[in-house]
This record gives sequence, C-alpha cells and structure tokens, in this order.
Amino acid sequence: MVVTTSQTVVVAGGSLAGHTVVAELARRGFAGDVVWVRGPEGTAPYSRPALSKELIQGKVTSDDIRLPGLEAHGLRLRVVDHAVCARLDPDDDRVLVTPAPGAAGEPSDGDWIPFDALFVCTGTRARLPEAFAGLPNVHCLRTLADAERIRERLSGRPRTVVVGAGLVGSEMAASLRSCGLPVELVVQGRLPMDAVFGEDLGRFCLERHHAHGVTTRLLTTVTGLSASEPDGPVVLTFDDGEQTSADLVVLGLGAVTACEWLRGSGLDVSDGLGCDEALRTARPNVFAAGDVANWRHPVFGHRMRVEHWSNASAQARHAVESWWAGLEGREPPPFAEVPYFWSDQYGLKYQMVGHARGHDEVSVERTGADGYPFVTYFREGRVVAAAGVNAPRAVMRMKARIQSEATTIQGAYAG
Amino acid sequence: MKVTVDRTLCDGNGVCMGIAPDVFDVDDDLNLHIVDEIPDDPVIRAQVRQSITSCPVLALSLEE
Ligand SMILES: Cc1cc2nc3c(=O)[nH]c(=O)nc-3n(C[C@H](O)[C@H](O)[C@H](O)COP(=O)(O)OP(=O)(O)OC[C@H]3O[C@@H](n4cnc5c(N)ncnc54)[C@H](O)[C@@H]3O)c2cc1C
Ligand code: SF4
Repeated sequence: MVVTTSQTVVVAGGSLAGHTVVAELARRGFAGDVVWVRGPEGTAPYSRPALSKELIQGKVTSDDIRLPGLEAHGLRLRVVDHAVCARLDPDDDRVLVTPAPGAAGEPSDGDWIPFDALFVCTGTRARLPEAFAGLPNVHCLRTLADAERIRERLSGRPRTVVVGAGLVGSEMAASLRSCGLPVELVVQGRLPMDAVFGEDLGRFCLERHHAHGVTTRLLTTVTGLSASEPDGPVVLTFDDGEQTSADLVVLGLGAVTACEWLRGSGLDVSDGLGCDEALRTARPNVFAAGDVANWRHPVFGHRMRVEHWSNASAQARHAVESWWAGLEGREPPPFAEVPYFWSDQYGLKYQMVGHARGHDEVSVERTGADGYPFVTYFREGRVVAAAGVNAPRAVMRMKARIQSEATTIQGAYAG
Repeated sequence: MKVTVDRTLCDGNGVCMGIAPDVFDVDDDLNLHIVDEIPDDPVIRAQVRQSITSCPVLALSLEE
C-alpha cells in the first residue's frame, strides 16, 4: 500500500503527455496534491494531429479536439495556466513557476513549488530561425493559435509556399492544396519525408503532391524571407539565388525541445531530457515523457526521442508507473513500446511502425488494388521498421515482429 | 464492458489497434471493426481503456 496523501506531484506541460500523467494519477487514486503547470499557451489541452489535418481544412473546430477535462476525477488538482516552469533547483526538490511572457495580471518573480515527484512533459516547439520571425504572413504550425491564424488567411485564397517537407510540412501542403489553394512545397532534401520514410515512400509522396497540382522545389533551402510592406506578400530567397513571392508562408522546419529551463539543474538536456530505460532522469524523482524524453530503447538498443502521438501517451503512463514502482519498492520496468505514427495526405493514410534509423536495406512490395508501396526496413538482416499507405493491418502486423526481431541486436548499438 | 465508436469522428489512424489489437481492427478501407465480446481478461481490458483515452480524435467511448 502506497501512502501518498502528503505528497506533491508537479506536472510540467499541458499537452498530451502532461494530460495523460494527470489522468493516470487519477486512475491510480493518487491521494496527494497535483500541481499541473500547463505552459504558455493558455488553452485547455487539445489534440495536435488535427491541426494540420481536419482543423486546417475546416472539418472540425477547436472545441472538437479538446482533450477530456480531468477536474471531476477526485484529484486534489491545481491547474496553473499561462505559466511555465522556469527553473529546477539543482540542490532541492522544487521548481520555480513563473507567469508566461505576456500573461495577464501583475508581473511576478514566480513561486518555488516543492515536489515529491516531477514529471517533465514540456515537449517541443516549432523551430523558427530568428531571421524568419516577425512577418505577419509567415507562420509556424505547432499550436492551436498558429492553426487559427493560418486558417483566418485562407478565405483570401492566398498563394501559399510551404517550407520544409517533413511530416508537418508535407501534410500541410496536402491539406492546403485540398482546400483549393495554389501551393508550392520547398523540399530541402531530394524527396518529401525522405528523412522518415526513405526513397520509395518519399518518391510516392512526391508523386501524390504533383498529381494534386502542388509544385515542388527539391534540394532547396530558403536563405531569406522579406516583405516590403509588413502585411504584404513575402519574398522568399533560395540558396540558388532564385526568388518567389507568396501571400502566405508556412514553415515546417521541425521542432526543438522545450527543456532550456532545466539547464543548470544537473540533468542531461543535450537532446531533450535524458533518462534511463524506465524514463527516470539522473534525479530519482524526476521523470520525462513525450516529445521531450530521450531514453534508451531496450528493443532497438540505442537512445532515441520520438515526436509522435502514441509515444507521448504511452510514455506518460509509463513514467507514472516507474515512480509508483519506486514507492512500492519494485524495480520499474523499461519502456519498450515500438514507435508508431500516421499521416493523412490527400485522403491517403501513411503509417509507420518501428524506428528506421540506421537501416541498411529495404524491401518494397505493392499492396491493395492501387499497388501502394509497402516498405520493410532492415538493419543487419533484422526488421526494424515498416511503413505503408492505406495498409493498417499489414503495418500493425509488423509491430510484433519488430519487437521480437530487433531485440536480438541489443548490445551491438549500446549507448 | 462495451466500446462504441463515433464513425463521424474515427479516421482510421489505428492508434487503438496498436494498443489493443485483439479488440480493434482497421481494414484497408480505413473502417474500424470492434469485436462484439471484449474478452474478460484484465490485460485486454486495461488496453481497451488506454485505447479510449489515446484516440487522437476522441471517437471511442465505454459502456461498462
Ligand atoms: C501540426 C502537428 C501535427 C501532428 N500530427 C501527428 C500525427 O499525425 N501523428 C502523430 O503520431 N503525431 C503527430 N504530431 C505529434 C504529436 O502531436 C506530438 O507527439 C504530441 O503533441 C507530443 O505531446 P507532448 O505532450 O509530449 O508535447 P507537446 O504537445 O509539445 O506539449 C508540450 C506542452 O508543454 C508546455 N510547455 C512548454 N514549456 C513549458 C514550461 N517550461 N513549463 C510548463 N509547460 C511548458 C507547452 O505549452 C505544451 O502545452 C503532430 C504534431 C503537430 C504539431
Ligand atoms: S484510435 Fe480513434 S480514430 Fe484511430 S482508429 Fe481507433 S477509434 Fe478510429
């Protein structure tokens, strides 16, 4: 029996991972205090994947994507909105909570909140190079506010350039094109999404963009953005010296982890927040979950950070279990979920399980009546990942195989 | 225990199937199928509860 009534848990981050930690504490009947510091957004938690899919296309509204409220679960829960964890004391178990920049109310130096356990779920934010900031017609897409700002512009049928063709960039190009806008997609690599999917699905994805009338610039980097009037068209300059003009620019340049506030706390924040296999950091009562967590995956045998939906909720539950196990004097289990994500583009569902990093071989089959590519990724002869289009059963079937086959390369990639 | 899906919301992303493959199945037309009888197994029931809270579009609900 765990006695928790006098304990305080601080949860940092108000999105999926933080929400799931709080829900999991409630499910376990945690009887202590929970202080949930939800970050700068000032909105109730919501589901991000819809932002670049249904929401941007006007098929759902912000109300439809709210995560369920947790207030009624009998937890002693204090929600702190529009506030951030600004520091973790290196010597004491306490965090400094300050109002987020721009928050309403009196300016304040913040409060130090002591904790028995801290769950770091501060995720990532969109990468925005300083030189690209400040133009009203240039947008990142990470938050609901970003999506709503972009959405407001769409009625004027802007000529749109999407910069970056990772998951968010490629999906945004498809969604904006599906809204009937003229769209150009700037691809830094050879193919869209090739960093995730490799050659074959990357080529398929490029063909889909072309078939739907998106123009692409491959192997191209944007070197400058400018506008002669603040709210006027944006001129994009590329590394080959060419220029183009757009009414709306969406940047999909990837994400950076939000853990600068942990510098000086004694924790490893070199790439997200470093933790062990059980999601414990170097401090025994500080845990990480979601996009921010960098852990050693016991199945793949190397460190990784996974920026996908299923990972954030599964890790959040696991981090609570790790803490709970410690309270009960049990050894916490390793977090061994095989990563999974999906992406919707032009009505097609791309799905991937596993982790293709370091793969040295692929096999490509054709699936379904339309002959979509289905790719299996190998490393040293063992399956490490699989991806397909409109083939959920085939993709999911590979999950168990990856779990069992990849295990045998444990050790070879230690570190 | 019975799980229902709001088909106007479900987009067939398969998150639930990844968590509870014995209960949820998404076919290649992206339609979700749920088994009629959820097995009386605590592990599977815990997976089902996780699936419901993990659905990115909040399409699943539980009738105990
Ligand atoms: C447009 C878009 C589309 C996506 N589509 C898909 C998809 O199709 N499939 C898929 O698998 N995944 C998708 N994802 C990824 C998925 O949404 C993320 O993996 C998930 O949101 C991660 O949740 P998280 O809680 O770890 O972090 P985040 O969602 O990044 O949340 C972090 C939270 O912490 C808060 N915060 C930051 N700093 C502090 C601080 N110092 N103190 C307190 N709070 C702080 C933030 O405000 C935020 O509330 C998509 C993401 C985006 C942006
Ligand atoms: S997780 Fe939700 S949206 Fe995805 S297939 Fe299951 S019910 Fe449908």
